Amino acid sequence: MSVRLLALGLALFAHALLVGATTPGVVTPGVSTPGVSEREIVLGSIQDLSGPGALLGTPVRDGMLLRFEEANAAGGVHGRTLRLVVEDTGYDPKRGVLATRKLIQRDQAFAFLANFGTPVVMATMPLILDAGRLHLFPFSPHESTYVPLHPLKFQLFAPYQDYMERATRHMVQSRGYKRTCLLYQDDDYGLEVMKGVEAGLVRIGQRLVERTSYKRGATELSSQIARLRAANCDFVVLATVVRETIVAMSEARKTGWVVDMLVTASGYSAQTHELGGVAVEGLFGVSVLPHPYAEGANPALAEWIVRYRARYGVDPNVWSAMGYSIADLFVQAANAAGRELTAAGFVSALEQLDPPRDFFGSPAYRFSATDHLGNRHGRLAQIRDGRWEILTDYLK
Amino acid sequence: MSGVRERVATGLEAGLGAGLAVVPFLALAVAVLGADYAFGQATLVLTYAIAGLGLVIIVGQAGQITLGHGALFALGAYVEALLAVRGVPPVLSIPAAVVVAALGGMLASLPARRLGGLYFGMSTLAFALIVEEGLVRWESLTRGGAGLAVPALAWGDFSARTPGAQLAVSAIALVLALLACRRWVSGRAGRAWRAVREDEVAAAEACGIDPAAAKLSAFVIGGGLAGLAGALYAHWIGFISPDQFGLMFSFELLMLVFIGGARRLSGALWGALVIVSLPQVIALLRDALPGEWTRSAGVEAMLFGAVIVAVVLLRPQGLARR
Repeated sequence: MSVRLLALGLALFAHALLVGATTPGVVTPGVSTPGVSEREIVLGSIQDLSGPGALLGTPVRDGMLLRFEEANAAGGVHGRTLRLVVEDTGYDPKRGVLATRKLIQRDQAFAFLANFGTPVVMATMPLILDAGRLHLFPFSPHESTYVPLHPLKFQLFAPYQDYMERATRHMVQSRGYKRTCLLYQDDDYGLEVMKGVEAGLVRIGQRLVERTSYKRGATELSSQIARLRAANCDFVVLATVVRETIVAMSEARKTGWVVDMLVTASGYSAQTHELGGVAVEGLFGVSVLPHPYAEGANPALAEWIVRYRARYGVDPNVWSAMGYSIADLFVQAANAAGRELTAAGFVSALEQLDPPRDFFGSPAYRFSATDHLGNRHGRLAQIRDGRWEILTDYLK
Repeated sequence: MSGVRERVATGLEAGLGAGLAVVPFLALAVAVLGADYAFGQATLVLTYAIAGLGLVIIVGQAGQITLGHGALFALGAYVEALLAVRGVPPVLSIPAAVVVAALGGMLASLPARRLGGLYFGMSTLAFALIVEEGLVRWESLTRGGAGLAVPALAWGDFSARTPGAQLAVSAIALVLALLACRRWVSGRAGRAWRAVREDEVAAAEACGIDPAAAKLSAFVIGGGLAGLAGALYAHWIGFISPDQFGLMFSFELLMLVFIGGARRLSGALWGALVIVSLPQVIALLRDALPGEWTRSAGVEAMLFGAVIVAVVLLRPQGLARR
């Protein structure tokens, strides 16, 4: 009997919810902007602090926090302090959805910054946009983060497809390679890179001679390297992250295969040469933001590195710089939007913003009313004497 | 036999008690957190509970080890997503997802005719790897690693876009699944499963039960339930990719059912409550706590692990244990 009673009760409950679901949401006129009060602006960020992307997520978060703390110490944005609420998803879209709802409803986040990972971003972005919140500069190569044009979504990072098309073309043309091959991670990241490499080669009348993939998290790539070597490649593009980059280079060197390799910005990290050592000497990479080395840094960068070390007790890396840049861009746009901060006002300010290139050596980020992708370009770098050396300006 | 029936009924009533106990929690959560956030959590709890019911049947009732439940869940999610993007209404697509996942369950159970215990568990692991690899490689259908965007669950004028509507759909599905499971568990199939679980040889020799058929039916039902949960999950998350359904996901579901209590239907609900909601509760507590250490990377994962260890130590038979 109790089963039937419970079923009846749940059915009535479900009916009430369904009726509620068909009733359009009520918008109260004159209500203030969510996340913006007299004293503060609340921002949300969905990061991977405990999953496969934790090596990236933690410095991104720390970089953003450092910039907001500095802005708050300088009086905030039009007198309002900035508060960043960070949620850890561990790269799990389910947790991402729950965290998004928390940030929207409980924390009332005005905007979401630097959300991390394609599955998480794809699951959470519709919720964020439906709630009328800004979705700014996610760490995802998916083109839906900036197209189709939506007033609330902006992307800062150059798509893999765009900059790898230019980088591949530049490398092949300037160095005369005839047999280009690809080693890629078999997910959206690897596929985006593949599209770019193929497009670049097609433009100069070549094609990929060989391609081979690996599963995310693979620690052994000997069969893939053997296959590429057997194809007699003279240039290998790597759609890998740090560990796989090192493994691929080490395996090639171990077997006596000397071949030029180019890794995407995902492998452009100080960890690549710190962990890879001699094996990764000569590796080419694409940089969308230079690594912040203390040695040879300009005065502003050197001062920032000192501040970062003092705050967190570790050296910053390129991901810290990205986090800082993202937060800095938000501060600039929020300042430009004026005291009466709304999502529409912020969007208008960001579309008209003309930020100078910063002390990191970042590209010139530009948005417009018809283009919400702030940068399409990367520059070439190479590991020389145990550090990345920038070889070119941004390739256009 | 009436004793068994009584124990099953009592277990089910405890499950219903657990279900009813969720209602005050939900009301409190709505009051404290806001409706959308609370309903969103509850939706995923109920959806995971449906998949958990399948594991209760396979693991708790039939006593089989499976490490591939996530793959059956994935089959349901992909069938539903592929049909939904082609405009097939949920009244057809969801049953199709259930059927395909049930067939997957049947396939996964075939090695049980020759293998037992951990060896069979390993074969389900292989099944999960094959399914994941298939989803990655069959790019023309699944879009491989690039993933699939899934539209909202909609039929006619009804569209489950709001958390409230999604919760209602999941609640209805869970009630139907619970009622069906109750019938199976307390009937002839349930008796056969428990007999196989307790002693496979004695079940065959003394009671005339076909162990292979019993295992097959458990996997077919368990797979169907996983498929149903996967179909709903695809809509609630809105984007699916093979890496969401890897081995870690299968382990998470297995953890769900052991924490909740593998031998009771209510265990699925308790386990889902812990697996889905506990990280969120920890996140809320973290916000309330002062000090820098609460913002450290991985602190939530560490606390989650600590709570799971405590639950396993204090309630080794699961939270639903009487």
